[in-house]
Amino acid sequence: MTVASVIALAVLLLAVAVLALVLRPGRASTLEFYLAGRRVGVATNACAICGDYFSAASFLGVAAAVYVSGLDGVWYATGFAAGFVPVLLFVAAPLRRFGEFSIPDFLGRRLGSDRIRLIAVCVVQLIILSYLVPQAVGSGITWELLVGEGVLGLTPYATGVVLSTVAITALVVLGGMRGTTWTQAVQFLLLLAAFIWLAVAVLGSGFSYPDAVSELDSEPLANPEYAGGEWGLATEPNRLDSGESATFGEPGGRYGPFGQLTLMVTLVMGTAGLPHIMNRYFTSPTGTAARMTTVWVLGFASLFYTLAVLLGTASRSLIAKSVEGRPWLAELTVDGVLRVPEHAPLVLGRIYGGEAGLGFIAIGALIAVMSTIAGLLLASAASWGHDVYERHINPRASQRQAVWAGRGAVIVVAVFSAALALGLRPDSLTALFPSIVATMVTWAFALAGSALAPVFILAIWWRKTTSRGAGAGMITGAVTAIGMFASASLVTDQGVGEILLAPTIVAAPLATLVTVVVSLRTSTPKDLDRLWLRLHGTAADRRAARLARLTIAGVGESRRR
Amino acid sequence: MRDTGAPSPLNDDDPQWVADIGDDYDMPADVDASFRTVRKVAVGHFVVFLAVVVGMPVLTLTVDWWSGGRLIGGMSPSFVMAAFGLYVFFFALAAAAATLSNGVEERMLGAQEREPADESDDA
Repeated sequence: MTVASVIALAVLLLAVAVLALVLRPGRASTLEFYLAGRRVGVATNACAICGDYFSAASFLGVAAAVYVSGLDGVWYATGFAAGFVPVLLFVAAPLRRFGEFSIPDFLGRRLGSDRIRLIAVCVVQLIILSYLVPQAVGSGITWELLVGEGVLGLTPYATGVVLSTVAITALVVLGGMRGTTWTQAVQFLLLLAAFIWLAVAVLGSGFSYPDAVSELDSEPLANPEYAGGEWGLATEPNRLDSGESATFGEPGGRYGPFGQLTLMVTLVMGTAGLPHIMNRYFTSPTGTAARMTTVWVLGFASLFYTLAVLLGTASRSLIAKSVEGRPWLAELTVDGVLRVPEHAPLVLGRIYGGEAGLGFIAIGALIAVMSTIAGLLLASAASWGHDVYERHINPRASQRQAVWAGRGAVIVVAVFSAALALGLRPDSLTALFPSIVATMVTWAFALAGSALAPVFILAIWWRKTTSRGAGAGMITGAVTAIGMFASASLVTDQGVGEILLAPTIVAAPLATLVTVVVSLRTSTPKDLDRLWLRLHGTAADRRAARLARLTIAGVGESRRR
Repeated sequence: MRDTGAPSPLNDDDPQWVADIGDDYDMPADVDASFRTVRKVAVGHFVVFLAVVVGMPVLTLTVDWWSGGRLIGGMSPSFVMAAFGLYVFFFALAAAAATLSNGVEERMLGAQEREPADESDDA
């Protein structure tokens, strides 16, 4: 790691800390700490959602999945972006109009039940942990490659995990939602800048995207495999055409007949159930602003994932040609193919920008990890601090006590996820999964899409949804998804295995069915008409817009005076 | 949603809140009508979205040209769609649905606040 990289990393961490301190909530209020006072504008919130959403799985994992599986890896990017279409159509505006602090809080109020709030807290915590651990793994992998050395007797991997967790926990504890929003927005713009710089550098060197796909397609797709005590390249079989080898530009490199569909359903449904993303919608000033924020998010996501796929393809094409004369690259590859596919964008950065280029991309990867960890920790804090502590443990808590409960929850969850990440050894798992970071995040999506999204959408759009129905649906979705994951390792049939590893296509319809059947046999909340007006009416939006107009007019008037 | 008949000004966190003259409020019948229209917009756009997303793997399994043909250089139609085309489609669909939903809500809700006083005199 060069001095320039160290300085850049230090400046970045300092800037994040300063932003968090400057923008920290002025008053000890839960509305400020969890929701930034509900005054986050469309463009800022869209950037912050992107900072929250584009995790290590997007920054490193998508390029890695394309690098390993070619066209079949591209579907990760497509699914991640597609997930925001149902969010826009069914969730964003009504969710914001109803208000509240978190998904469990929304379900508890909408369905008039404390029990459903607690069930939702359990599901939300499971999703957050499934999402947090791969982020910590991503930071460990990046540190390992960027710095290659540990501190205080820790391995490089463990140092990356510990340092990123400590830094971002401090940011969230100090800055709350307001500080986190602005740092996430800035972090997203830095991420995008890193990808744009790398894409311009690659394309500027004469790289032809269509020609590269054509060239890669001319030979079988082969990836490193550790067998018989040594590394070698193994040709990937075509999962759609038995007996044939897979190629980069055609389907079959990773998925059989059902795999692509099950992955898409999992990612599309999962986005609508991700607590850290949905919580951001509560920070919008109005429902209409929340809806328009999602349009901006889709625009940013389209640009980001188009670049990620381009860089995955460029890595596959260019890294093999660059090994000669670069001993450092030979150590990372087997016959020109990277052993850890998540290294792809980082290696490309070093090839085109030397140590400074590696530092820039690695800092981008660390930013991706940190901004997502921040969002997840805040969602977890809202869930523990607000939904459990304020609602159940100490209903008479002062605002100051409630905010400190949230801060305590952030620290506990951060330590727990870092401990889990330290227990994992990613290099031992790459043989099992093409991109361990993207695969682990897919598990979180599967749980969110199976347990939360169906109940969530029904609670918004179906008046007859009841708390008992929603509870039964959530438990069914969660148990089915986890059960299918657990049994995936026991199944040898590829088609069945693909469904078990991305179980939303089975678990979500089952959760929906159970919710509907149980709801039809139980009674709805007494004040349903009032709740429905709040969920689908726009009076609060108009009031907020009128107040904003009056404020602007008042400011203009006082300036004229 | 069934129409409760009586106008209700309640649309806030506080159950004791009562609308004053000039306050913003929604009538249950208006919200019901707007909800149904926005739901139609959402479901209609979702059906188009679903057809395209599910159509991708179906085309992969049924049409050889989709995966084996060449559209731009060495890129098959499937690759072009996955790498660029679907993003353009998602964005266009989202922008259209958001514009339409916002328009529906604006036309169908809050009309009583926009009506000038002399209009009621004419009636």
